[in-house]
Amino acid sequence: MMRFNDIKREAGFVFAHRQFKLTLLVVFLLSTVALWSGHAEMQAQQATIERLLEKDTVEREAVLSHQNSYGMVAYYAFHLTYAPPSPLAFAVVGERDVFPWKHRIRMLALEGQIYESDTDNPELAFLGRFDFAFVVSVLLPLFIILLLYDLKAKEREARRFDLLNVTARNSHAVWTSRTLVTLVPLALVTLIPFIAFAIVNDASLRSILLACVIVLGTISVWSAIVLAIGAAQRFAKYSATHLASLMLGVCLITTVIVPVTGHTVINAIVDTPEGGDIVLTQREAVNGAWDKPIEATWEKFIETHPQWADYTAYDPKRDGSFNWKWYFAFQQVGDESASELSNAYQQATIQKNQLAGYVSLLSPSLLTQRLLSNTASTNVQSMINYENKVRAFHASLREFYYQQLFAAPEFSESSLKQLPQFTPTSQFTRKTMNTQENTNEK
Amino acid sequence: MAGIISNTIKTICAEQWRYWLRTKVATTVLILGSVLTLAALVVNAFHIEEAAHAREHLQHEAEERFLSQPDKHPHRMVHYGHYVFRTPTPLSVIEPGVDTYTGNAIFLEGHRQNSAMFAEQRQSAGLTRFSSLTPSFLALVLAPLFIILIGYGSVSREREAGTLTLLLTQGASRWQLVLGKLVALMLASSIFLLPLLLACLYVAFSNESALVVTLFCLGYALYFLLWAVVVTACSTLFEKSSASFTVLIVIWMSACILLPRMGSSVATSVEPSIGKLEADFKVEEKLRSLGDGHDVNDPAFVKLKQDLLDKYNVDSVDDLPVNFRGIVAQYSEQRQAVVINEFAESRMQEELAQARIARQFGWLSPTVALRSFSTLLAGTSIETHHRFLREAEILRMQFVQGLNKVHVEKLDYKLDMNRNSSEEAADKAVVEASNWAVLSEFSFQPEAPMARLSSAAMYCLQLLLWVGVAALLLKLAVRRFNP
Amino acid sequence: MTSKSVISASELSVRIDQRTILDNLNFEVGKGEVFALLGGNGAGKSTTLKTFLGLMKPSTGTASVMGMSVADNTNEVQKSVAYLPESVTLYGHLSGYENIRYFLSVAGVEKTDDAIHEALNKVALQENAWHNTLSNYSKGMRQKTAIALAILRNAPVLFLDEPTSGLDPAAIDEFNSLVSELANNGATIFMVTHDVYGACQVAHRIVLLSNGKLTGSFERVGDTPIDTEAVHAAFAGRK
Repeated sequence: MMRFNDIKREAGFVFAHRQFKLTLLVVFLLSTVALWSGHAEMQAQQATIERLLEKDTVEREAVLSHQNSYGMVAYYAFHLTYAPPSPLAFAVVGERDVFPWKHRIRMLALEGQIYESDTDNPELAFLGRFDFAFVVSVLLPLFIILLLYDLKAKEREARRFDLLNVTARNSHAVWTSRTLVTLVPLALVTLIPFIAFAIVNDASLRSILLACVIVLGTISVWSAIVLAIGAAQRFAKYSATHLASLMLGVCLITTVIVPVTGHTVINAIVDTPEGGDIVLTQREAVNGAWDKPIEATWEKFIETHPQWADYTAYDPKRDGSFNWKWYFAFQQVGDESASELSNAYQQATIQKNQLAGYVSLLSPSLLTQRLLSNTASTNVQSMINYENKVRAFHASLREFYYQQLFAAPEFSESSLKQLPQFTPTSQFTRKTMNTQENTNEK
Repeated sequence: MAGIISNTIKTICAEQWRYWLRTKVATTVLILGSVLTLAALVVNAFHIEEAAHAREHLQHEAEERFLSQPDKHPHRMVHYGHYVFRTPTPLSVIEPGVDTYTGNAIFLEGHRQNSAMFAEQRQSAGLTRFSSLTPSFLALVLAPLFIILIGYGSVSREREAGTLTLLLTQGASRWQLVLGKLVALMLASSIFLLPLLLACLYVAFSNESALVVTLFCLGYALYFLLWAVVVTACSTLFEKSSASFTVLIVIWMSACILLPRMGSSVATSVEPSIGKLEADFKVEEKLRSLGDGHDVNDPAFVKLKQDLLDKYNVDSVDDLPVNFRGIVAQYSEQRQAVVINEFAESRMQEELAQARIARQFGWLSPTVALRSFSTLLAGTSIETHHRFLREAEILRMQFVQGLNKVHVEKLDYKLDMNRNSSEEAADKAVVEASNWAVLSEFSFQPEAPMARLSSAAMYCLQLLLWVGVAALLLKLAVRRFNP
Repeated sequence: MTSKSVISASELSVRIDQRTILDNLNFEVGKGEVFALLGGNGAGKSTTLKTFLGLMKPSTGTASVMGMSVADNTNEVQKSVAYLPESVTLYGHLSGYENIRYFLSVAGVEKTDDAIHEALNKVALQENAWHNTLSNYSKGMRQKTAIALAILRNAPVLFLDEPTSGLDPAAIDEFNSLVSELANNGATIFMVTHDVYGACQVAHRIVLLSNGKLTGSFERVGDTPIDTEAVHAAFAGRK
């Protein structure tokens, strides 16, 4: 059993080393800088969303006031769709820098719009992000190795090991308290900045606690690995630096080799349609429709939209100089022809993500990164959820316009007030955006 | 005298190698390092080859589809559009750079400039978030770690074992001792360099400039030399191997892992860019004032109409020898392109500015310096992506305006204006499919070798500076070297 | 000499990987006795010490301290034992005083500052060195610090490993007189060494160890130190 005296003594001992204090300072700085940069980034993203929403409304107004037929409106009016950053996104950028989180969508075929990516500067994405999750998953293990690798080996090399063990009232107490006194301050300097920033970002208590548990978990796992290697009988004769090489090797294998191998294997296993094929198929279908007889398009359209079977007739006096109904019908048919591939593409992404979850069980760093992404809702699933929201929104747009184009083609500006608006996940909208949403909703 | 000096160095070097071959750490690291580098090279080479073939195939297919379209209204072809795919450059085998982060396909159509699609990173389920084990990552980040693990104790262990005094009293000077150790370490690091050199040799037989490949290799060689010098210097400076080890690991962490990423974070804070979506709003705003190119009666074209009527000395557009709709399409496309490209260029300048800021961290970390140098030479930096965007745009304007010219010259105006009245009318308002030959072949090449060399020159300078710093460090270490 | 044995080995054998390091050792050490185990390099001295300290387990037979078998009551035994390792390196970044404080706390022993000062004076460590970092101490000074620690532990049994190696003659004399004083005050001293002269000066009994076997025994008669020549001859002759 450890006594308080043990803790006090070991604390004094550990803190007497200058390198330790320096290490703590460095970790604190790294944590703070990473958090601050993530925070600034998310603030910028929020501001961008707000600016874009404003412009989106202005622009749509301009379009609506210029047009006088539903077809034209549907063709020219864009809608902003977006996924605002969750409260913890500042700490875990996750997939937000690889998947798109904003689109401008109009009524035209969705498969031609949804794959556009307005992602950041690829050169910066290539260099990688320096966010809190990176500090915790990759840097922290390295620091743990540096702090603990020679816990016992150092004493052995200085020939104090036997003296310590024999003199100690309870030798376990000495090692345990020395380890704790090293790890607890490390955890604190990592987590305290995080908690501070999380509070500023209105994160829920539950998510903050969860994230802290994950961080503590990764510290425990890596400490366990380091201590196990340090205490193993078969390595008892190794020098401290030899032990450190072993630990670095473990770190390397689990952080780099396991994920990359997993990636190669998963890619070989999971059949993914070529993105290029989806858009080519869709385009062929859409453009082919111009040459086919109009009836062919209607036939296909009615298969999936039987409710409009009686409304397909085109009357230039009623419907305007161009057969918009038919135009949008074949846009939809084009989407449907590519839908199998498109679904397969999304399914493949989801499946790969699932398999990656299994791979991460072999890699503490990867697991930490994934768990943190999950907590911050910046994981692959969240980005796919956003994509599906966009699809759902597009569907609601189509419903609205079909109603007008087929059943009530007389143009009236007031009916456009019923135009669907995109609503992001409500739990993430800030107060200002909430009010804006409320005024826009029907 | 020179013979004796180099003999001593050779002896010390040989002894160091014997030590390494007998210790587990060194041999494991050497074997592991070489196997990894080789594996990464092979895997990456396959990957790039596959990607190259796939994209070439898709490009070919897209071109064929365009050309095989039947007779139809030329403006529909403007909307049918075309796809271009960016094939990887030869040196991507070693340094894929931004390839997986940028989309590699762009859809070209009239009135819009789209962004690239299908960045591969999206399909990686976050597994390649930390690294993608490309040969360049191995060389930039892992090789220095390996060099440290092998060499951190090369000089300090002699001191700890007490053999240092012995060596120095046998007549070896301090410089000879340290140089012997340095040469040994350089030879060890060249084992990691070997696969890279082989890959470069392979690439040299493709259509990449030999000068570029040579300088590319040299950059990596300098980098390895630099680390060997730094590691030897630290081993000389510190009395205890463990101190040398700790310091070197900290240097490695900062230079190879931290600073590159800090560079990208700083770049986004200092030079925020507004992103394409937001730029699109500005573009649309401006375009609205230019009038709708689909509507001949838009007030924006009144003057155009008048000028044309004057030019051909007729009273109505029906009497023009050219198709007025086509003229309008041509005209408005031109004006739109000016606006679109203005914004595209400024966005590219922003991204470039950001990239340049991140590259400035090369003054703080040799890893960043070499990364910049290597991506620029290999043609896998953002400059090349921008070039792709620009060439795609040129192709777009070429075929769109080519089609519009066909629209102007070969489609009768009256038929055109009546195209919506019935299906037969629509069938008449077409031009022959042979006109689709306005589409030229797209084959993407990176910048000319000299252009790449000159843009990479500054980062070469950074690298050379670091070699100088390392040399100074070594000099300092030897000066303070006391048994 | 004295009645109750404080340290005893009974048919003690230690075998590692088929090699016999210690072969059937039998001896007893009484209270207040200074006992020296003399042997060359590789004779088995460190193994003997480690067995009595509980760092190694006997293969057959028993090693006992204070009547308890060391292997079975390792923790209890360690509480009553003070250990002075060979070429002792305490913590270089702490001062002599801080080192003592640290190890006393590790042992769970509370001592006042005065007690520590008294111990440091007893071992004749200059006062102006007490608060210097240990990296500035000479070997003799470090030795003294370690002994001061052993004294403060008030342990009835002291195990010393090559205590005089590397000390100059003056330091050896100081050391010997300290050991005698501790023994006179009731401490039992078990010393492992290959310093014939030093052992003869201070030990009540000297036992020779060669290849794991006990090969000779010398006892002090009265106050006269054991005959160095005889021991030397026996020691060297056994090579």
